[in-house]
Amino acid sequence: MTIGFNMKNNKDIAITLTNVSKKYLIHHEKPTLMERLIKRENEEYLALQKINIKIRTGERVGIVGLNGSGKTTLLKIISGISAPTTGRVKTIGKVVSLIDLAAGFHTDLTGLQNIYLNGMLLGMSKSEIKNKLEDIISFADIGRFIDTPLFTYSQGMQLRLGFSIAVYSDPDILIIDENIESGDQNFQVKSFKKISELIKKNKTVVFASHRMDLIRKMVTRVIWIDKSKIIADGPVKKVVSMYETQ
Amino acid sequence: MGMTEKDLRVRYKNTVFGFLWVIINPLMQMIVIGFVFRFFIKEPIANYYLYLLVGLLVWNFFSLSLSKATPSIVNERNLIKKAKFQREVIPLSIILSNFTHLLVAFAILLIPIILSGLFSIFKIPTLLIAIVLLFVFTSGLSLLTSALNVRFRDVSFFVQAILIVWFYATPVVYSIFVIPHNLIWIWRLNPMTSIIQLFQNALVSAPAPGPAMLLSNVSITILIAFFGIWTFKKESKNFDDWV
Repeated sequence: MTIGFNMKNNKDIAITLTNVSKKYLIHHEKPTLMERLIKRENEEYLALQKINIKIRTGERVGIVGLNGSGKTTLLKIISGISAPTTGRVKTIGKVVSLIDLAAGFHTDLTGLQNIYLNGMLLGMSKSEIKNKLEDIISFADIGRFIDTPLFTYSQGMQLRLGFSIAVYSDPDILIIDENIESGDQNFQVKSFKKISELIKKNKTVVFASHRMDLIRKMVTRVIWIDKSKIIADGPVKKVVSMYETQ
Repeated sequence: MGMTEKDLRVRYKNTVFGFLWVIINPLMQMIVIGFVFRFFIKEPIANYYLYLLVGLLVWNFFSLSLSKATPSIVNERNLIKKAKFQREVIPLSIILSNFTHLLVAFAILLIPIILSGLFSIFKIPTLLIAIVLLFVFTSGLSLLTSALNVRFRDVSFFVQAILIVWFYATPVVYSIFVIPHNLIWIWRLNPMTSIIQLFQNALVSAPAPGPAMLLSNVSITILIAFFGIWTFKKESKNFDDWV
């Protein structure tokens, strides 16, 4: 069941996925050129099949589905980290993903240097980062560790720093994966407050989670993915109750 | 640029000597090779130690850039998984950071060259052409190998092995004139020949590459650059699937 939205004005669409499929080659070991030249066989795995999604600017969309259903692949494709095998993806505005929060850090550099490196990866300019530096550090609650190399940081500190840089990079579209729930209680409360702030500023949010209470609280529309296909797409109440009674 | 800075910082994080290594390393190589090869070379090359040093600096830039850029995409898988950005930044930042080293080293090298009266302002265009060719060739080849290394992890081993042979197939420690005429086609296929010769010509007044050599070397450079950019563009879409 798919609920079609009435789209009169295409300018309102922040994310458009047209016929998106993603095929992965299964490689059991690290492939080598030698092997490839000798035998040319490939095992394939279809992670997404002909996905069509349109998300309007300011819309908050939840993605639900079992492990391995294609949620993360979908988020990666929306955020541009991965390209679809066939089909087209169009996003308008700056997309920032919170898929892998600790990614993009260099363990030998200090927290401060990592903020610059990471911020630039997310498309911020140096002066922009400089202006937001205090906010980023205080939100991440790193304190005086900011000048020590990242390998001295705990998992939680890295997570907080990654999140802080991402939300302060002023995204138009925020992509959030379930791992955000891995922080401690205190940080979870803080991070959801921050996300709510972004939502109020009419930012588009795509949020994948297994926790229906969070889904109910955060989003208005839910897309249910199973076995690489969209099963349902519609208002949160309807789809979540379908998903829970499956 | 941020990536280049990162690369420089990481590399010299724990070295006291820092930038000094840029010049000390090739100096040591120059002394050893210079001492040994004096016994083997029949026709002496004028200003042999300086000739060697120029060649070694250029060669070291090339070989270090290529061998570090080739596995760079795999090494920086962390960044690939973070965000969408121009993936070319990763190998090119390594080349750029090596490039700043090369410039520093050349600046220091210019002192003895000017003192020995080998340098003239009219050589500056030659020097600039040499620098552009070196940069284009190194970047093009590095884009190619770094993209391929994502899928085929043995590419970086190939590169390491080939670089050893390649060094002796490039006129760094010898002059092109010792090569028998029927073998010269090998050097024609090697763009580093002209590049090194142009540097040697500009800085220590060694003979410039001949027109045939220059033409074939430059054509191959351009070919490899385009092929490298094309391959990288094509492969970079799927880096995330493989790293």
